[in-house]
Amino acid sequence: MNRIIILIPLIILLTICIFSLIYLLSDKDPNKPPSALLNKNVPVFESSSLYNDKEIIKTINIKNKKTLINFFASWCSPCKIEHPLFFEIREKYPDLYLLGFNHKDLASAAKKYLKDDGNPYDFVGVDSDGLIALEFGVFGLPESYLINEDGKIIYKFMGPITKDVLKNEIEPLL
Amino acid sequence: MSSLIGFLSLALAIGINFYLLISRYVFKFQKQRFKFFVRVSSLLTLLSFFSLMYAYVTSDFSNYNVFQNSHSNKPLIYKISGTWGNHEGSMLLWLCILSIFSFFFSFTKNIEENFQKLTLIIQAFLHTLFSLFIVFTSNPFLVNSILVDEGLGLNPILQDPGLAVHPPILYAGYVGYSIVFSIAIAGLFQNTDNEWLYVAKKWSLISWTFLTGGIALGSYWAYYELGWGGWWFWDPVENISLMPWIAGLALVHSLMMVRGEQAIKKWIVFLSILCFSLSVFGTFLVRSGILTSVHSFAADASRGIFILLIFFIITGFGFLVFLLKEPKKSNTLNLLFINKVSALVINNILMIIATLTILLGTIYPIIIEVLYNKRISVGGPYFNSTVIPIMIPGFLLMSIAPILSWQTNKIKNSKKYVLGFIILSILVFIQSYLLDFNTWGFVGLLLGFWIVLASIIAIFSYYKVKLNLKYFKIINPHIAHIGVGIAIIGITCSSVFQNELDFNLNEGDKFKVNGKMVLFEEVETTNQINFQALRGKFLFDIEKNKSKKIEAGKNYYPVSKMITSEAGILHQWNKDIYFILGDQKNNEWFVKVLINPFVSFIWLGVIIMVYSGLIAVTRR
Repeated sequence: MNRIIILIPLIILLTICIFSLIYLLSDKDPNKPPSALLNKNVPVFESSSLYNDKEIIKTINIKNKKTLINFFASWCSPCKIEHPLFFEIREKYPDLYLLGFNHKDLASAAKKYLKDDGNPYDFVGVDSDGLIALEFGVFGLPESYLINEDGKIIYKFMGPITKDVLKNEIEPLL
Repeated sequence: MSSLIGFLSLALAIGINFYLLISRYVFKFQKQRFKFFVRVSSLLTLLSFFSLMYAYVTSDFSNYNVFQNSHSNKPLIYKISGTWGNHEGSMLLWLCILSIFSFFFSFTKNIEENFQKLTLIIQAFLHTLFSLFIVFTSNPFLVNSILVDEGLGLNPILQDPGLAVHPPILYAGYVGYSIVFSIAIAGLFQNTDNEWLYVAKKWSLISWTFLTGGIALGSYWAYYELGWGGWWFWDPVENISLMPWIAGLALVHSLMMVRGEQAIKKWIVFLSILCFSLSVFGTFLVRSGILTSVHSFAADASRGIFILLIFFIITGFGFLVFLLKEPKKSNTLNLLFINKVSALVINNILMIIATLTILLGTIYPIIIEVLYNKRISVGGPYFNSTVIPIMIPGFLLMSIAPILSWQTNKIKNSKKYVLGFIILSILVFIQSYLLDFNTWGFVGLLLGFWIVLASIIAIFSYYKVKLNLKYFKIINPHIAHIGVGIAIIGITCSSVFQNELDFNLNEGDKFKVNGKMVLFEEVETTNQINFQALRGKFLFDIEKNKSKKIEAGKNYYPVSKMITSEAGILHQWNKDIYFILGDQKNNEWFVKVLINPFVSFIWLGVIIMVYSGLIAVTRR
């Protein structure tokens, strides 16, 4: 009996270690929690174009289109890293609608950024106060969401998209 | 250059420790030589740490770590504290403190030589494990492959005087338990007399005192820096520090029983291993990035696995030795209905249950995510409704525990206590009834005041007042408990009776807070060395001549593009008035004012606890 009691700490230790190990090995990144929005309808939003105040985009406008939404800003350096990939996506999947949200940025800085590095987006919406990002539950920039034709979020990625992510995770969904 | 010196001295320290480890079997050392090597390795580790600090102070961006985490126009103090404001540097600090403890332990007298040597060998073992971890996964001395003349900056939230002191003191608490761990394991191996218990007691008190100070500093820092108006959030990292703290408290109290010849050696050894295991586990959870919070710097699976392995080796080794080398049967306990021994046993049981409850709450999300791939978060409601009720009987008991007898059931002056308790209950009840009655408020206040009152009764009815050190040593347990009582009063008031007021204000508006008129003067933007400051200026109590200025606002750090909030706090002895400046909309500023009653009592209570921890260290 006494022996068994003394064994308890070792058993608890083993349990904790096994679970932690599985957790670490399964490549679960706490920075990338499974989004609560996955398989949910895309949040309702309304935003004006960066280039023209009067041009408005709403949730309805992306119905029946497969859409990739990308939150970016001119001050966000990781955004620069993923930026060229959007041109590749653009070329490979011309049917995919690319919607960029310019997050908490100066319009002039954003325009300069898109002029210098090129503009891969079909539409650049302004999210100057960050309210749209709040609706999407954006954690940090850049962040991307894939929306299917039914208006459901089917994929979310935090951080700069890499070639691997594009190939292994996004392309299968396209 | 400094990076090279740092790395070489670290490497040399590893070499020496390895040498010490095998020395037992390969080389026969004289004891003096052995200690000499221990000290040299400690000093080398220290040198390595200071080399890194030097690289930070001189903004040596050829060091990759400095480049990643520093910036040349940071004030000097944040360059220094930046040394441990990142993963690699903080691990080196960890190792450095481990060395310092070994260093001082090697000077301990009145301790059997072989025993001391064995303890130091176990320390050398721990040192080797952690330094290998640093060298292989978190080397702070890597060379920057690109030539740059500016760094990337330090997380602005960490640019605070609080950060300069919080981590080193907290680490001193965590790592201090390594000595306790080593002593306990050495005690198991040698299984000699009970002399080592006294040594363990001293070191566990030192660690516990540091841990208390470190946790309190962290809370205080969160209170004024995070701008959420609270000081404890049941954040996983806070829980992690609370676990060894509670287990350490149990340990200190168990070691108390040594004096009554009632030591349960087995239990003490168990707690010693547990305290350090929990410290390492905490390090693992934070450093692996499993837990994300303001404390995690980077997530990296290989680091996580390495440190999990270290945790497994240390804890597994500890408990395995415990299993195989079970201490000799100790004296049977003199358990009576209510004597000191039974009170201490109950206290220990409660503390262990509390520790396990926190442990469960902390790892539960990991288990759930592994099993169901769902992310859940266990927060305040769970901990408040489990941990606090578990602790309540312990708090009740602690008011009278120090005056209980070792041998009998009798309590001297029991009438005084009963009378005191009844009068106090009535007073607190009336007080609570007149204000809005709140059950938790009532229970908390009654407990807090009762602990203070009972301790004061004990001090004055048992000991003659003398103003010398000996007297303060004798009444020290009561003083410590008064500290806890005061802290409980502060905790209860500030959490249960907190008041929140929201305003939308234009500059020049006047508004009423707590019956006093406040003027919202203006909002001003200024440029500081490393940030832009936006400050709302308030004048509190303008009807009086001596109105007080309060500034609340935000800082914008251009290097890292981050905004931190800076609360404006007006400290009064009985309440803090806490101003938070929100966003501006249509020329109106959103201002939140929190009235936190008796927050100062929490810090006062902690200061008293730390004081009595220090006094207890000097007492044999």
